[in-house]
This record gives sequence, structure tokens and C-alpha cells, in this order.
Amino acid sequence: MSSHYEAPIRRPLIVGDKNYHDISVDVAAPVEGKANKLWWIAFSIALLAFLWGIGAITYTIGTGIGVWGLNKTVGWAWDITNFVWWVGIGHAGTLISAVLLLFRQKWRMGINRSAEAMTIFSVIQAGLFPIIHMGRVWNAHFVLPLPNQFGSLWTNFNSPLLWDVFAISTYFSVSLVFWWTGLLPDFAMLRDRAVRPFQKKIYGLLSFGWTGRAKDWQRFEEVSLVLAGLATPLVLSVHTIVSFDFATSIVPGWHTTIFPPYFVAGAVFSGFAMVNTLLIIMRKVSNLEAYITEQHIELMNIVIMITGSIVGCAYITELFIAWYSGVEYEQYAFLNRATGPYWWAYLLMMSCNVFSPQFMWFKKLRTSITFSFIISIVVNIGMWFERFVIIVTSLHRDYLPSSWTMFSPTFVDIGIFIGTIGFFFVLFLLYARTFPVIAQAEVKSILKASGEKYKKLRDGNHE
Amino acid sequence: MASNKKYWKSVEELKEKSSIVDTLKQNEFFEEIPTDIFLGDKETLETSSTTRRDFLKYVGFTTAAVTLASCEGPVVKSIPYIIQPNDIIPGVAEYYATTMANGFDFANVLVKVREGRPIKIEPNKDANGITNARVQASVLSLYDSLRLKGPKANGAEITWNEADQQIIAKLNEVKASSLPIAVLTGTSASPSTIKLIAKLNETFENVAHVEYDAISESAALDAFEEMYGKRALPDYDLEKAEVIVSIGADFLGSWQGGGFEASYSKGRVPTNGKMSRHIQFESNMSLSGANADKRIRVKPSEQNLALIKLYNAVVSGILTTEETPLNNAIQKAAAQIKAAGSKAVVLTGIQDKNAQLLALAINKALNSEVLDVNVTKNIRKGNDAHVAQLIADMNEGKIGAVIIHNSNPVYTLPNSAAFVEGLKKVKLSVAFSMQDNETAKAVQYSLATPHYLESWGDAEIRKGQYSLIQPTIKTLFNTRQFQDCLLAWTGSTTTYYDFLKETWNSEILGGASWNQALHDGVFTADAVQSDTISLEVDLETAASQLAEVKGSDLELQLYVKTGLGDGQMANNPWLQELPDPITRTSWDNYLTMSKADAEALGATNNHVANGALNGSLVELSLNGVSEILPVLIQPGQAKGSLGLAFGYGRKQGLKAEMQTGKNAYAFYKDFNSFQPNVSLKLVSGEHEFACVQLQNTLMGRGDIIKETTLEIFNSVDSKEWNKVPMVSLDHNEVEATSVDLWDSFDRSMGHHFNLSIDLNACSGCGACIIACHAENNVPVVGKDEIRRSRDMHWLRIDRYYSHEEDFAGDNELKENGKGVMGFKNTMDALEDPSENPSVAFQPVMCQHCNHAPCETVCPVAATSHGRQGQNQMAYNRCVGTRYCANNCPYKVRRFNWFEYPNNSKFDYNMNDDLGKMVLNPDVVVRSRGVMEKCSMCIQMTQATILKAKKEGRPVNTNEFETACSIACTAGAMVFGDVNKQEDTVKTLAEDKRAYHLLEHIGTKPNVVYHVKVRNTQEA
Repeated sequence: MSSHYEAPIRRPLIVGDKNYHDISVDVAAPVEGKANKLWWIAFSIALLAFLWGIGAITYTIGTGIGVWGLNKTVGWAWDITNFVWWVGIGHAGTLISAVLLLFRQKWRMGINRSAEAMTIFSVIQAGLFPIIHMGRVWNAHFVLPLPNQFGSLWTNFNSPLLWDVFAISTYFSVSLVFWWTGLLPDFAMLRDRAVRPFQKKIYGLLSFGWTGRAKDWQRFEEVSLVLAGLATPLVLSVHTIVSFDFATSIVPGWHTTIFPPYFVAGAVFSGFAMVNTLLIIMRKVSNLEAYITEQHIELMNIVIMITGSIVGCAYITELFIAWYSGVEYEQYAFLNRATGPYWWAYLLMMSCNVFSPQFMWFKKLRTSITFSFIISIVVNIGMWFERFVIIVTSLHRDYLPSSWTMFSPTFVDIGIFIGTIGFFFVLFLLYARTFPVIAQAEVKSILKASGEKYKKLRDGNHE
Repeated sequence: MASNKKYWKSVEELKEKSSIVDTLKQNEFFEEIPTDIFLGDKETLETSSTTRRDFLKYVGFTTAAVTLASCEGPVVKSIPYIIQPNDIIPGVAEYYATTMANGFDFANVLVKVREGRPIKIEPNKDANGITNARVQASVLSLYDSLRLKGPKANGAEITWNEADQQIIAKLNEVKASSLPIAVLTGTSASPSTIKLIAKLNETFENVAHVEYDAISESAALDAFEEMYGKRALPDYDLEKAEVIVSIGADFLGSWQGGGFEASYSKGRVPTNGKMSRHIQFESNMSLSGANADKRIRVKPSEQNLALIKLYNAVVSGILTTEETPLNNAIQKAAAQIKAAGSKAVVLTGIQDKNAQLLALAINKALNSEVLDVNVTKNIRKGNDAHVAQLIADMNEGKIGAVIIHNSNPVYTLPNSAAFVEGLKKVKLSVAFSMQDNETAKAVQYSLATPHYLESWGDAEIRKGQYSLIQPTIKTLFNTRQFQDCLLAWTGSTTTYYDFLKETWNSEILGGASWNQALHDGVFTADAVQSDTISLEVDLETAASQLAEVKGSDLELQLYVKTGLGDGQMANNPWLQELPDPITRTSWDNYLTMSKADAEALGATNNHVANGALNGSLVELSLNGVSEILPVLIQPGQAKGSLGLAFGYGRKQGLKAEMQTGKNAYAFYKDFNSFQPNVSLKLVSGEHEFACVQLQNTLMGRGDIIKETTLEIFNSVDSKEWNKVPMVSLDHNEVEATSVDLWDSFDRSMGHHFNLSIDLNACSGCGACIIACHAENNVPVVGKDEIRRSRDMHWLRIDRYYSHEEDFAGDNELKENGKGVMGFKNTMDALEDPSENPSVAFQPVMCQHCNHAPCETVCPVAATSHGRQGQNQMAYNRCVGTRYCANNCPYKVRRFNWFEYPNNSKFDYNMNDDLGKMVLNPDVVVRSRGVMEKCSMCIQMTQATILKAKKEGRPVNTNEFETACSIACTAGAMVFGDVNKQEDTVKTLAEDKRAYHLLEHIGTKPNVVYHVKVRNTQEA
């Protein structure tokens, strides 16, 4: 792979005067060095939030789902909103590592490790919600098709929630394997550099005895390709199935055939935004600006812009179809969504998801690191509200007006959400300090072709 | 079930007298068991590795293991029948006929008793029993943990012997002082009790019996007496009425004791193209007004004039009155009355003798068949004048002793302070009470009485129709009946049971069997001698006096709410949580006000973030009495009038949760529910309501409650007014019901249950809600949870107001909203009810869809379809994802947000051992985290099937019932098997008025609704 040729007009993916050893040193630095004050502060905050979340979850399980703000009409709200939001965020990782691998997009190499880590960690958060939203968590294993002594007692394969169980667990395991495969040579690099026996031992275990033989590399490449092939349909399937939770129902505002593509686009949208949020900070803190360049961020911004526009089209299509269908319940559901008591959530969703990415048409804005960071946060907020709008505004006023009501979260709802954010960052911060956050082995493979120094040498483009 | 089945064993059986078959019959084992060979073979035995010692080890171990396995904890609190009572079979319910007569509600009922525990009240249909929500809920009051558990003297517990001695001594003292003894009771329709009071009079002399109704019907009684010579109430058979004109009479509520819903509903179902026409003039939105074909908002004071005008127009000009905007409506009503002649009736709820006289006079002039002046009713007898006199006498020290029974005057009297003062001046004050209520606390002796389900007694509800009260459980506490005490005090040694039986045998039964009467719960005397006479009444004076009643800008009309009635069952959580049929607000009373008045005052109703309803607080004052009350803006409330319900604001003998609302009796000056000259002042703060329905209008969704007019119904094909929704299939318009995603399932075999609900017959009374509560162990969740929209009712009655004058207007408005902004403006407008809306009720429970949306989405298949049409819930399997509830278009699924039983946070009947006795053992109590919903009373249908099977017969026609269908004496709910040609429900399901709720979704429900027909024909 290293032998590819890159046109001179392409901007280098590794900036600065880097050689192979520099890459190893740069990637190993956060692992081998000591954590600074900032890390500890961030970690403490995340841990506190996580503990708060655990407290809120314990309270819920000990007392009942009634401690949330749900009611007879709105049976899901923050729980499933958070679930879909986290699953959506988990989308970027696989898209970057699998789809972009298949499309031979070299720029993925700088970001795929962290994107995948983010995927794994956010799917963990997502997976929490379908479990804790159950009234009887202690019977959660009922959703698994386990052989039992009750004869024909089996799960209901008609239920999208059951499809979810399979979709999420498949996605999680494939992502994990894919991620770990990529990590093997990098763990081996850390192992080889480690001076303390304990670290050596640990990284030795984690790298599964990687030796760096040609055979190892050959298998590595093959497995990566096979897993990429496997993971690509998953990118589409997971969120398609999550959207089925709504699309196969009969609730006006949920029962929509546009949901699968719309959800996938939304997921990629939010996933890239989250990658941007994380990496913009990480490249700064961990001194990785040479590998996660402005160009990376710009490219991600373009993906955000495109997927954001797709999502925007979907929003408008929904409104059009509601009107065109001539079904009064459908029409009212969308009228209520946009102008009902939750109009502010709809407006927030529209402005964050449809309008804000449009700024990315301007080169100046999409190459601005600060602006990209702000937009990434805005998009994350917008996408949370998208799910909230879909779930709550559809449920709170459905068929029979007698059951119409409103939803308002309790401190437990909020606590659990904050808790998962804390949990996510606890994992991510630990990861940033212990894992090779850049796929250095892969990055090294493009150093000659796309490293600034080598590019200059080759193209004779001396200044 | 002994079985005589023969099982096929071998081909040999085909042969006659086969030797093999014979041999087999004798031999249990086909082959000889080779014991001898085994034991005889020494070699095998010796080489066997199992030695004697091993054998003993095994035996020892096995014995020890078996012994250990049997070491289980003992069964706690379950006492087996060592000697089983003859007539109790565990698991089989017993039914006893008895009568509820608590002074406010009178009903012939059947009591369902399981293992010695009364658990449910049902109407005794053989005795025309009608059970309203309160009667249905009365069984829970039996298990009220705050009941008075024994006799008390000045708050200290004493024994019955001590009480008897002390009271008799004091009674003798009073007798010696020749001061009168007053026996103050609620309306007592009991002939034997009246006889006993007479007996008391014989013993102690000078005993005066004062009857007192907390909510007075004195005016009607006095008027009837003046016109017919007897102080009683006439009976109305509204089924016979073609035109019903009511001026302020909430006859579907507790007007004149209530009980008219069944006959009213029968006349409301269009049969042979005819149904009654109901015109209501009223100020508060009452249940009757909500059911009326035409409702005219009239302030209480103007109702007097309306009645005079009506008399003028129907009978003759008696008193000229000024022109009011009402004239037109009254002329039209009068024309209809005249056209209907003797098939019309005029009812009035105005608490004024003159008004009652005029109404009776109109009916008399019409020669109305609807009211029966010969068969009178005894369910209201209170005399306001007597009560007022008694209080005056007490305060002047003219009364020696007061014995109070079946009444809580300290709470219900408007001048309760004077009564309490008076009590201090009498030598002896005794109150018989079930609860440690206000009166029990104010008297010297509070004597614990049993609940009616623990008592003997009788009641003559209707003249000539005698009902018996029999105990269905041994007294739970150290209680004694009022009548038993009277017997003891008069020196008699007989029990009340013997006394009752003797009275009946000698005076009532006339030779008929006592046991039969007890079994039937009712005995009807053969010929009833009419004891009313027609008297001449000076109507002119009456009319002129009535016309002089002055109104004011703001007038208060006190009313009775369906839930608590007069307030004696305020500690009953079922009734507290029963949403009011009109406002759908529970756990409260409030001041109802028209929107215009509220705006003028600056009072508002608003919704907080979770949707719950809040209302402004106002201070209501009347002659020095004032109370801070929350305002509920009531569509249909007459401008310038206010409504306030009785029964709330009790503080004594109630759990903290039940101490809801404010006491309206304080405003019940002179026992008149109409109080002019009230003043209102807005005060700061807001009140939190527990309202279960936050959207009041139907939003122009005419397919939810289909409506038509009698004219269209009679003249146009049903396809026009009962439209089946159409969908496009292969570019052709086809009926939505004909399109199906799934292969249909053969449902023609076995039973297939349907429930039919006639929207014409349903008056919204709510009896079915309580019946469902009792039958299915539905938990009470309390005010806070209701505010969070988490009521647990399996069955609810939705109430909708129209935005326009009627629902057809709403539909039209919706159709006309063109363009996006037009659509939005229309929808926004439709959210607000009209100032005088048309009202529709719709009972909604699980629709048991044959294509149930909930069933497909449950990941664990906890909810699935039964062979008999029910959508079933397997609580054990449910993990509580709530997906089913989200996907239910009818929103009938209820989630157990918390553990409701055994939870001190939900301190209702399921949190104490006594309250739990009401639970139906056939229905599981659900735990936290599971979904629950209407099961179509599967425990009842299965019991019916089992019973028929045991008796070796097919299930009888219309034998299947559900709790709601039994409770619905109006006949709106009919349950049955549609696979059975003879079942009524089969015909109803195929009726041209039949439709399914939200038919266009294709859920194919097993609940059928019937298009509501309104009689809009004006004369």
C-alpha cells in the first residue's frame, strides 16, 4: 500500500518534517508521558458525571421507571432519545474505517483509530439505554433467544426491538474486532518501546504476540479488508434497524418509509460531528497536529455539510409527504411537531442540523478550527433534539385527543444522560492515555507518499 | 369430572371375548417381574459392587436429602379449612342479595363473596338494582382501615356493656327531666327501624325522629305533599318519555336520589326511528346537560323565570314575565312538550317548593305518563325545617338527648358551629358512625356501627318494594348496629335479626317465604294501595313568589359530584381517583366558572411543563363565610354562575391523602343549592389539579366519535352517516377494512368475544370504571401521579367538547381550513372548546384488536392474541419496554411506574392488610415494571365456560359478562360471543350503527361502538 502515488496538487496528510521514528515517538508520547493537570481535571469531571449517572440508574432500578418523567402517553422520551443519539454517534467510526478503507481514502488513517474508539464507547452508552429503560431490568435476558424449559416460549421475531438487540450487538462486536485488529501492530510498537516490564507485559498481551513478520502483515491486510467488507453493510443496517423501531410502528410521525436513509444520514452527520469535537481537542492536547491536519477537519466538515443537507431534505420531505398523504392524523402530527407546544425543539433541530452546516460551504469557515469545533457541538445538540422531536412530539399527541399530554424530564432523566456523557469521556480519556490514538502503522505506510517532507523531496517543490 | 372414556389398547379388543384382553385386564404387568431369578442368582448377587453397607449409605443419604428438601418455611397467614363450611368452596364465588341504604345511595345489589370476603358489588338486576360508581365502590369502605373499631366515650374506648349502662342511665335521666330525646338520622327507608324508633318512644317517651338529608330535597318533598298529600317523591320512568325538559335537574346525577340512568338510556336508543328528545336548562355543566340534545345555559335565578314561562306556554298564562333571550328556547321546548302531550315530562332541580309545585303542575296538566305519583319513593325524606328547629331547640337547652345515626351533621350542616354548640347543651349525645368522623368526635358517645355488608336491615326504596339487607361477612371490628343498640336500650333481649324477621313475617311478607325474600333481596307486595290524593294548589301565589327570588351578578350553584356524592365515602380511594365525568378531574372539588367570567376576574387555567393543569385561586365569600378555592374554567357554564361540589373538605377520620378539596356545605345556607350574592376575589397562588384529560376537544376528528342526527339516521342510508374509511388499493378506492396485510385467521370456531358500546345509551356515569377497578385489582396511584398523567384505569370514559356548536361544525371547520396557515389556524382554534359545547362521552378500554399493533412490537411476546379474540398480557413475561403502549393507537395500556401494592408512598387500600381484603383473588396484582390493561375480564369468561362445562351444557345465551357490562345498567355495554347467533352482541356488532374506533388503521378491534344519534328535531 505504501507504494501509491499521490499527485503533487494534493495537500500532504502528514505535515511537518516527520520520519518514521518521529511518528512512533509522537504516537507513543501520550502513553509514555505523564498526564497533565488538564487531563486530570477533565477526568475528574467525567468520573463525577459517571458516578452521578450510576446513582441515577441505581435509583431508577431500585424505585421504578416512575422516577423518570414518562407517562401513559409518552412511554419513551430521554431514554430512547439518548439511545438513538449515542448509536448515531457510533456511526462515524465504522464509516471512516470501513467505508473509507474500501474507497481507499488515505485521510482516514489519521482519524480512524479515535473514530473507532468513539464508536465503541458510544455504542456502550447506547446499549445501556435499551436495558435500563425496561421496567424489569432483572429480566432483560428475556429478549435473548435463550433455550428454556417453557416449551415454545421464545422471543418475538416480529419486534423491531428484538432486531435492535441483534443489530447493536453485531455492530458492537464487529466494530470491536475491527478496531482491535488495527491496534495490534500499534500495541506491538508500544510493547517494543516499553521500558518497564509491567507495561511490556500488558502491551505484549494486548498485541496478541504480534511479531511483525511479513506473514503477519499480509494477514493483517487481509483481515482488515474482510472486516471492512463485513462492517460496511453494518454501517447501513444498524441505523436502519434503529429507525425501524419507529418506522414499523403505527404512530403518526413515526410510521414513515423515509426513516432508514434519513436515520443513516443523520447518524453519519452526528458521528462526524462528534469525531470533530473529540479530535480538535485531542490533536491540540496530544500534539498530533501533524497527523490530524486542517485538511482532515475540512474533509470531515464537508461530510457534515453533505449529510446535514441530506437530513434537511428528509425533514422537508417528511413535511411534504404528510401534506401529500391527505391523512389528517399524519398532517396534524407534523403540524404539531413544527408549531405545537414543542415548536422550540423543532426550531432548535432545524437550525442546528439544517442551517448551521450550510456555513461549511465557505472555505474560510470550514478550515477554521474554532468554528469547526463550535459547529460540531451545535450539530450534536441538534441531533439530540432531532431524536427528541421525533419521539416525544409524535407520541404526546397521537390519535385520541383524550390522551394527549406533555413530557417533562426529571432530574433522574437528566442525571442518566449526563452520566453516560461522563462514562463516555472516562473511557475516552483513559483511551487517550493508554492506547495508540493514531493508527501509526498505517500512517507510516503513507509517509513516503503523502508526508510533507517526502512530497517536497519528490516533487522538487522546494521553497 | 369423572371420565368414562375407554382407551384403545390393541387389535385383540376387536375380537369378542378375547382371552388376551381378559388376561390383560387382570394383569397389571405384562411380564412377570423376575424377582426370583434375580435373587436366586447367587453369582450375580455376590459380584455386585453394591454392598450392604453401601446400600445403607444410600438409604441414609436419600432419607437425609428428602428430609432436608422438605424443610421449607411455613405458610404464613393462611388458614386451611379444617372443617370446611358447607356452602363455601374455595375458588368459587358466592353471591348474596342485599341492599345498600346509607341515606344517600339506595340500591338493590348482589355481593360477590370469595372465601368469606365480600369483594364486589353488582346490581341486583332481578330487583331493578342500579349501581352507580359510589355503590360499586362501597365495598372498599368496608375495608377502610380508619373505621371506628369499637365504642368510645369522649374519645376513650369503652365496652358495649359500659356504653349501654351509661347511655340507658342518661336516657332515664332525660326521661325524668321530661326533655325530648331527638333521634337524628339520615333518610331511613327502613320500616323496621322506624318501628324500633317508635319502640324507643314507648320506653323513654318524648322521642322525636328527625330525618335529615345532607343534600336536601325538602322542597320537592314539600311540594309533592302540598299537591298529593304525602311527603314522598314521585317516581319517573324516563323510558316512556318522548320529550324530557329539565330545568336545573341533574337527574343522571343524584337529583331526587338518582337512579334514573337506566330508564333514561332506554329511551335514548333510537328504536323504530324514535328516541326521546332531551332539553336541559342549567347553569353548571351536569351529566344530564352533557347528555342533552339541546342544552341552554341559564343562570340559577333565571331558571325560576324559565320555569314560569314554560308553565305559561304549556299550561296557561299564570304570571306575565319580562321578555328574556330565553323566550325563544322556551317556546320551542313548550311546543315540543305540547306535541308529545302525556309523553312529555318536566323536571326541575330548583330547590324551591314553588318551583317544584310548578313542575308537578305542568306534568299534571300534561297528564304525563312518565311520572308515577302513586308508587312513591322513600329515598329522600329529610325535612329542613325540622332540622333547623332541632338545632334551635338544642341551643335553647330544650333537648335532653341527641342520638345521631347515618348522618354526619357536624360536617354537612351549613351552620355546623351552632349544632356543635347545641350538642354541648344536651345531656346526652350519641353518634352511630362507621368512621371517627367530625360528628363522632363532637359527641359524648361515638358508637361504632358495622358497614352495610356486615349488617341486617331492610329498606322500602319504592312503595311496596321491600328490600332486605343481610350481612355477607362477620363484623370485622367490635361494632354493633344502631338497631341492636335500640333494642338493648329499650330492654329487649331479641337481636335485630329476630326483630327484623318478625316484623317482616308479621307486617310485610303476608305469608310469603322469608328465605325466598332473603334470597331475592327484595319482596314486592302484590297490590299497592295508592295513598296519594290530588289537592288543589294555589299556583299563582307560587309563581309570583318564585318570580320574586332575586338573583345577582354572581350566583353560586352547589352540586353533587359523581365521585364523592355527599362526602360520606371520602376515605374511599377508588372514588377519590374516579375522574369526574365532566371535568375529568379527580381528587378535588373546585369552583367551576365560565370563560368570560374567569377572564373578567383574571383567573386562568394553564398547563405546566408536564402537561398538568393548574388553576388560579379565588376567595369565595357569602355572608361572612369565605373559602379559598381553585378555579376550573368550565365550558358550558352559564355566565354569571359558579359551581361548587359537595362532599369534599373533610378532615376527620381520613388519611392525609384523602383530605382533598374544600367543604362546600359551608355555603349551603338554608339548605339551598342556589346562593346569590356571592363575591369573588382573586388571590395569589395556583392550585394543582389532577386532571386526566388535558385536551378537551375532539379536534374535528369525527371518525373517533361518529355522530348523526335522528333525521338523517331515519332517512338516509347508513353508508352516509356511518362511513367506512376508504383507502387506495391498486389505484382503486376500497374500504379500509377489506385491506389486510396478513392472512386471516379462522375465528369461526369456539368463542369469539366482542364488547359493544352504544354511545347513545352511555351517559358517562362512571360505574363501569369502579366496577373494573374492583374486578381487576386496578391500583390507585394518588393525586401526584395523576398529575403526571399516570392514571391506571383500564377503562376510562373520554369526554369531548365541541369547538363549534356541535361536532358536525368542528368537522366542517376542519374541512374548510385550506392551505398551511388555514390548517394551522383551524387546528389551533379547534383546541378550544365552545362556550356552550356539545358533549360526547366515549368509554375506551383495550379494543382487543385482532390485528393488534401492540402484539407485533413486544420483543418478548408478552402480549399476544388469545383464541377467543382477547389480546392477552402475560405479566410474568413482560420486561416493560413500553413499546406496546407507544404503539397502541387507543392509549389504553397502563404501565406500573412504581410498585403500587405494599408501598408506603402509595398509602391506599393495597398498602394495608385490611384494604387488601377487597382484592379479587382471580386476578393477579401486578408488580412494578410491567404493562397492564383490560383483559376483557378473562377470569370471568373462563369461569363461565368452566361452569357450563361442569354442568355439562353449552354456555347459555348472553351468559358471558364482563365487570363493566354488568355494572352498566344503562345497557350501553353489552358483552358476548359473536360466534353465538343468539347472543345480543352478535346482532349489535352487525348493527348499521356499529363502527370500530380508528377503523382506518386496520386494527380490527373486538370492541364495537355505536354511532351517536342526536335528536335535533325541534317542534
